[in-house]
Amino acid sequence: MMRSTLQQRLLPLLVPGLILATWLAATSGDDFTAQVLVPPVAVLDSFNELLASGELTDHLRASLSRLLLGFGIGSGLGLGFGILLARSALVNDFAGPFFQAVRQVPSIAFLPMLILLLGVDEGFKLAIVAKAAFFPVALATHDAVKGISKGWLEVAAIYRLSPLRVLFRLILPATVPPVLTGLRLGLTRAWIVLVAAELMAAENGIGQMMEMGRQMFRIDTVMVGVALTGLIGFALDQGVRLAERRLVRWKAV
Amino acid sequence: MNAIIDPRSIQADSTSAVGGLAIRHVHKGFDIDGRKLSVLEDVSLTIAPGQFVSIVGASGCGKSTLLRLIAGLERQDSGDILLDGVPVAGPGLDRGLIFQDHRLFPWLTVEQNVLLALSNSDEAATDKRARVATLLTLVGLDGFAQAFPHQLSGGMAQRAAIARALAPQPQVLLLDEPLGALDALTRLRLQSELQRIWLTQRSTMIMVTHDVDEALFLGDVIVVMQPGRIARILHVPSAHPRDRADPALTPLKAEILSLLHAG
Repeated sequence: MMRSTLQQRLLPLLVPGLILATWLAATSGDDFTAQVLVPPVAVLDSFNELLASGELTDHLRASLSRLLLGFGIGSGLGLGFGILLARSALVNDFAGPFFQAVRQVPSIAFLPMLILLLGVDEGFKLAIVAKAAFFPVALATHDAVKGISKGWLEVAAIYRLSPLRVLFRLILPATVPPVLTGLRLGLTRAWIVLVAAELMAAENGIGQMMEMGRQMFRIDTVMVGVALTGLIGFALDQGVRLAERRLVRWKAV
Repeated sequence: MNAIIDPRSIQADSTSAVGGLAIRHVHKGFDIDGRKLSVLEDVSLTIAPGQFVSIVGASGCGKSTLLRLIAGLERQDSGDILLDGVPVAGPGLDRGLIFQDHRLFPWLTVEQNVLLALSNSDEAATDKRARVATLLTLVGLDGFAQAFPHQLSGGMAQRAAIARALAPQPQVLLLDEPLGALDALTRLRLQSELQRIWLTQRSTMIMVTHDVDEALFLGDVIVVMQPGRIARILHVPSAHPRDRADPALTPLKAEILSLLHAG
């Protein structure tokens, strides 16, 4: 049976709606003080306040530019390394097991070392974001390149396709969808790690805003940060998904 | 399904006899776990232009390898393969190859897949598209030009693969168990289609199969292989188009089957 569009649109709102309702109910009585559980209205007020003062925009700009730069570096390196790992037996022998081992360590575990090495300035945040993006992208690229079927390459050989045609008609269409999935994973991981890094040491950024809020006991500010982190991560994920859907229209749905 | 087409629009120049193959003392082996495994031993075969040759044999007898050598996807260890007197060196548009799996590119439409085979042609884009349309009619895929491979049945995808292989107008069409993955009914229908296409094209066709009935229905010449070598070459006297129940085929079938069991 086909799901109706109404159902598709309304059902995802059910759980957030229930949580909001419970939250409202919990804060309407006297069971919790506003310092422990802030009412939703206070969070909304805090959001408007931060937005009007321009403070929020500054934090978001700082965070998103770090994300863009770090993700750009990490995913670019990941693409190159993934291709090398798939194409060169030497690189695979040389770096394969090490790559697989480092991949198992959570990005956040590297934070203390990176802070010691690079200081608390921009360097360590870019490094950790790049690291978080690098691994999923490298892995997806490696698998994508490995996944180009020998049978298709034989077809290309039989019809004497030029190297350029092989690239645009075979290699890219075969690899772009899985690589996009890797980019999507890398982007959302980079975002998570960036906010965590900003919580630890930063002069600005959405994570720092939350950390300041915590220190000042402004839970409303913290909750604005939490909600925005979730929404931005969701938007980034959906954005790449949209690109994926546009590029792989040939796939069976 | 009998599509109405004008044979002249697709027929290769039938006055010059091209597409003759000479296979001379070909040896081929593969290294498997450091050991040399011989697949073809001193295979010689002459194929006249325009002939339909069926190669039958059990799995692993080297029949597909022979086809891949002719296609230029593999290189023989020794011996010669000559197409119209010229040694085969690598793949070329003078030889088309149809695999058991259709190997269409899933991200291209049927039309784009067939057009890809015309990449090296200097024709104008509109002429190419017209030719693709004619070919799709020939294989019975009218109206499916804009379909993606995943929207086609196995039989339809294989028809598209046949259209793609025919597009560069190869002098020799090599078919590596082209109907092996299809259900019995589709298979019978496509056998008749292949016969009709061959009668239209009149290019040399060499088909590897392990279906003896299929080999007899389509082939002028049946090459029976036993592991590594050609056991016998049989000529089928019946004319095309052929009747499956033709009594002349019965003794040939018995002979082929006894050879295959002996191997």
